[in-house]
Amino acid sequence: MEKDNLSEKESLALISQMIQKAKNSYHDSGTGPILWGTVITICSLVTYAQITYGFKLPFDIWLLTLVAIVPQIFIVSREKKRSKVRPYDQTVMDYVWLCFGISIFLLVFINNNICSKLAPVFKTYIEVKGTRPEFNYSSFSTSFFLLLYGIPTIITGGCRKLRPMLYGGILCWICCIISVYTKSDVDMLLTAIAATAAWLVPGLIIRHRNKKRAAADV
Amino acid sequence: MFKELDPILHSQLRLAVISLLISVREAEFTFLKEKTNATAGNLSVQINKLKEAGYIDVIKQFNNNYPQTICKITPTGIAAFEVYVQALQSYMNPNGQ
Repeated sequence: MEKDNLSEKESLALISQMIQKAKNSYHDSGTGPILWGTVITICSLVTYAQITYGFKLPFDIWLLTLVAIVPQIFIVSREKKRSKVRPYDQTVMDYVWLCFGISIFLLVFINNNICSKLAPVFKTYIEVKGTRPEFNYSSFSTSFFLLLYGIPTIITGGCRKLRPMLYGGILCWICCIISVYTKSDVDMLLTAIAATAAWLVPGLIIRHRNKKRAAADV
Repeated sequence: MFKELDPILHSQLRLAVISLLISVREAEFTFLKEKTNATAGNLSVQINKLKEAGYIDVIKQFNNNYPQTICKITPTGIAAFEVYVQALQSYMNPNGQ
């Protein structure tokens, strides 16, 4: 590639060829979505089983989400080292997912506070009425989580043109609406469906596409 | 009247590098080499010319004890590229139609 006397047509063709090459050069590995899709699906299904079959694990299964942060940090740093190119939207994506992670922890914090405030009210209700109240806040809190799950998923799916992720994000919001009308056990099934559709399946599709692309490049 | 084409950009390899860099935030030297199929020596010379013209920034650093060269287009480079494309369009379509 050393030609200096380019014709106008050749110049334009070269520009468009290089822009196309740059566009096709950045690919997600799919490891992050697979990790989080698996973790949230497992946590939701275990919680569903605990509610349905009345057993209790000696620890909170949702602590797995904290454990999963360690491999996530490893995945992000490995992908940054491997990546030879940084697209314009990468900074936006990083901030969107960082804000999502922080929002989830803030929501857990808010929910814990609401539940601790509601506990004495429920205690008094049970003492007076002799039965548990029909209102269950945790059933509604799942809707807030599903609402949050949808936001970064739809942004990523839309910006990166990952249709399975975009549809998965929309499904999170559909599950969010349904969960308003369902009980805690069904909410957990809806969360498992949403996590599988929004992250696990798209992650596996991305990984499969990358393997095919890598095989074609060899 | 035809606009004059920027001699810095009107070279196959330099134009390829600028076209790649305009599409991304930043790219490694190895990425540019891979996409342009240029030799490391030639690419290095052309990158230096773009850098001297103020069209790109070149950052040299170490990643895992290996030297790493990162290139990114500057606002001057973006403006020059836009002028270059407009000039090309004026050649392709001299009546402005």
